Amino acid sequence: MTLRQDLLLALGGLVVLSALPLLGLSTALRDFLMFAMAYALLSMSLNLLIGTTGLVSFGHAMFFSLGAYAFGLAMQSGHFSIPVAFVFAMVLTAVVALAIGAICVRLNEVYFAFLTLAIQMLLYNLILAWVPLTGGDQGLMGGIPRPRFWGIDLADRMQLYWFCAASFVACLVVLRQVTVSPFGATLRLIRDNATRAEFLGIDVFRAKLVAFVIAAVVASVGGMLLTLFVSGAYPNFGFWTTSGEAIFMILMGGSRVFLGPVLGTVMLRVLNDVTVAYTEHTEMVLGLVILLFVFGLRKGVLDIVAERLSDRRQADLRKGP
Amino acid sequence: MAGIGRRSVLAGAGALAMPAISYGQTGVIKIGVPTILSGRVALVGVSSVGGLKTVFEKFNADGGINGRKIELVVRDSKGAPQEAAKVTRDLINNAGCTIIIDAEASSASFAVQEVIREMGVLCIHTNSETSSLTADPKLHVPTAFRTARQGIHDAIAGGEYAAKVSKAKGLKRWMTCSPDYAYGRDNTAQFMEYATYFDPSIKVVEEAWPKLFQPDYTEVVTKVLNANADAMYSALWGGDLVAFIDQANLYGLFDKMQSFMVNLGDYGVVDQVKQFPTGVHSGNRYNRTVPPTAENEAWYQSYLALNRHKPTNWSWENAVAAELVVEALRETKGDTDGKKLAAAIKGRTIKSVFGSKGTLTMRAEDHTLIDYIIGFGVSLPQEPFITGFAGADWGPIVDLERQWKKKLGYT
Amino acid sequence: MEPEALLRCVGAASCIVTQLTSGLIMGMLLFLIASGLTLIFGVLNVTNFAHGSFYMLGAYISLTIYRLTDNYFIAVIGAALAVGVIGMLFERFLMSRVYGSNVLMQLLVCYAVVLIADDAVKLIWGPAVLSMGMPVEFRLPPWRIMGGVVPPFYAFLILAAALIGLGLWAVIALTRFGKVVRAAAVNAPMVAALGIPVNRYFALVFGLGTMLAGAAGALAAPVRSLTPGMGFSILIESFIVTVIGGMGSIGGALVAALLLGLTRSFGSIGFPLFVDGAMFLIMILVLIFKPSGLFGKPAR
Repeated sequence: MTLRQDLLLALGGLVVLSALPLLGLSTALRDFLMFAMAYALLSMSLNLLIGTTGLVSFGHAMFFSLGAYAFGLAMQSGHFSIPVAFVFAMVLTAVVALAIGAICVRLNEVYFAFLTLAIQMLLYNLILAWVPLTGGDQGLMGGIPRPRFWGIDLADRMQLYWFCAASFVACLVVLRQVTVSPFGATLRLIRDNATRAEFLGIDVFRAKLVAFVIAAVVASVGGMLLTLFVSGAYPNFGFWTTSGEAIFMILMGGSRVFLGPVLGTVMLRVLNDVTVAYTEHTEMVLGLVILLFVFGLRKGVLDIVAERLSDRRQADLRKGP
Repeated sequence: MAGIGRRSVLAGAGALAMPAISYGQTGVIKIGVPTILSGRVALVGVSSVGGLKTVFEKFNADGGINGRKIELVVRDSKGAPQEAAKVTRDLINNAGCTIIIDAEASSASFAVQEVIREMGVLCIHTNSETSSLTADPKLHVPTAFRTARQGIHDAIAGGEYAAKVSKAKGLKRWMTCSPDYAYGRDNTAQFMEYATYFDPSIKVVEEAWPKLFQPDYTEVVTKVLNANADAMYSALWGGDLVAFIDQANLYGLFDKMQSFMVNLGDYGVVDQVKQFPTGVHSGNRYNRTVPPTAENEAWYQSYLALNRHKPTNWSWENAVAAELVVEALRETKGDTDGKKLAAAIKGRTIKSVFGSKGTLTMRAEDHTLIDYIIGFGVSLPQEPFITGFAGADWGPIVDLERQWKKKLGYT
Repeated sequence: MEPEALLRCVGAASCIVTQLTSGLIMGMLLFLIASGLTLIFGVLNVTNFAHGSFYMLGAYISLTIYRLTDNYFIAVIGAALAVGVIGMLFERFLMSRVYGSNVLMQLLVCYAVVLIADDAVKLIWGPAVLSMGMPVEFRLPPWRIMGGVVPPFYAFLILAAALIGLGLWAVIALTRFGKVVRAAAVNAPMVAALGIPVNRYFALVFGLGTMLAGAAGALAAPVRSLTPGMGFSILIESFIVTVIGGMGSIGGALVAALLLGLTRSFGSIGFPLFVDGAMFLIMILVLIFKPSGLFGKPAR
């Protein structure tokens, strides 16, 4: 798919997304989608690491929370407009990710996972402890100011939704370009056979680091969207259970198909919302459904779909003209 | 690339499950209750709903208002603030709730407050004891109220009591041991501030700050031992307090100093601890003999009839919220508009079992509850679980609270 | 930071005794739990993310047995065995099905089991906090050794954990069972090819690992409060211990657990607000400079 085709598809997707809440359905759909988009950015960016590069990070939510707090604090200070605060949070996340990534991407597999987990928990404890700045376990209280910018008023829930949708689609386009570019092919080569990549003269360390930083920045955008939705930032944005949720979203939706994590996010959120609405035994139901999923499907939904499609294509090819 | 249609169908299916219908003046009155029903503090949700039931079941049995009954819609946010915000929005937008009784813990309550600021329905916070939720004018929301006890009130009442004991027994060197999070830190700092105010010879010589839900308190206990203090204050609660007492008993801690543990008095703690230290001072939380009236005992029995556990501090706080909602609905004749209900609740005084003089008031200036029975006593390992209860006077509490607010720039 | 307080303590025999005991008790309990985790990883090459739930089940089951029999020792042994059986069932019916899949699927299965276990415990025992209380045998005043305070119950726990650890080592190093297990850890297909039912050994090892966690829960029950979800708090710590000590090394788990216990104990005097951070910092340093852990084998 060329860049132009991708952009057209993205535009089409954005139009559909924007129109959905206008179809007269309850505002619940709009709230659901905003929440889902924020988490989908977390899981999509994590999949750049897990699915494309083969880097399993257990600590990705630290960038989710870093974006949320940086943006929230910038806005609460009153000195920044929303676009400036946005860019500030992204740049800050990129710098921190560069430092952390330089330490982490050297390690392989399980050790990389544990190191990212440990650093995430260190950051989490730091946020909890630095009460004068972050509010500690209470989070950023008092709401997030939303001054108008470029004629847009984010205090209006509908405009907030369109802003989220636009940011979401923009991030997806960026991730898509990275994935289909030659750089993306390099990452996949590293995932499949890092030794071979090195022999071909690829600087594996640099490639992994670039992927790490890009993933971190996209995750931070997700954190900012969640902050706008909730009107606050809280320490558990960066707790290891949030990273775990992102991993589950990838597993359920599929890690080999580009939009797999988005589907997984929607699936997990629907599951969560339905369980919470209908029962008090949320944990038992969630646990049983996950087990059914793991032993029934065994793979992400879109991965299965993609396999079936490719099998059919192979069968057709074999049939001959 | 998967079609976008699939995604939105899935999304729609979930969200459309319960379409939002606006209940104006007819039909059931739905009250949404975001709370915690799972994990370590599941008792918060269970006992909060238990308290609500004691009032609403009776209200419905008596015919409701103009035949309209109250229905509780309880949802588990697992204590995560962003889930609490989403659950609250869903309760209002999707489940048709026109009133919110927020039974979340303190951090999630701030998130719910922001949702209420935007949506304008009536909301009563029933469990968050952090003073800033109502004291800080920047956080004020016109339709939000709090029936939970306030940290500053407990600190003033407790400090006064502690000073009396410390003067009588010469307790000069004090040690604190409280959980390291906003409630623990604020509560402890305020208590010691007022204890020192009432008895200036008190000095805090050492502080210990275990983490919330920390299973092992050994290093904290030994630190308390090493400090060689005359008295100790602790804001530990629930399972943490039980574990701390069990572990402290091994070191004979309670033989060496007077202890003041504000949260010991709760059923679920005071009747769970097996090796009970004697002479420990505790706040009153909820106890069937405080106040020692027939009405209190009757409420206690009615709670037990509806629930499988004894009432907790959270139970009475929620029962009061339910009472206020019922009275407000009667005044607006069933109109659930947020502003109208808020006007009915603001400044309202109701007769209540839990009042220090038989009444409770929802203070108009900052939307928080006052005149609830508050004070310290000595804990016992068997019924009635508390003795020598000294109820504090609200006049001095309110005065000192006003000074405290001025000091913090809240007024 | 309070370096003077720390120096003062190190200079006083009484303080050293007290803090050493407290460090030992935290360390030994942690070792018991982490040894099970590292055993499972070393032999089966699988990370049991549900390990905390077995600790929790051990505590609850021992409470029930104690209430029925009024005997602490029967409660501990009974609970440990029960948890071992549950662990074997978990391995046979759930974990073994995802051995081949990637580690994330295993994580998902464990997470599901943690959720189900938490809710099951809440259903059976209720959401309120439960307490076992100190068994009559141990309701003794604390011993004074060189001015320091040593509770007899803690001395017993340290001894019990040490004996169990010794027993574990003996089983792995000296028995035929241990020999097969060690061989299976290196090359399972080969062991199977020799006609040994490797799957049965896998189940037994997993059961042994969970039994260790259950035993820890049961032993510590008199001084811990029981709530659904209590497995959470020890899960992360036992992971840190396993990583620092080296995945698969029981000796490493012992050293790491004692290191963490003593850091906690003396740290609460010297740097009280940074104790948790210190643990993660040690973990990070180990991962950077010796990723396989202090005693672990270099990456396979």
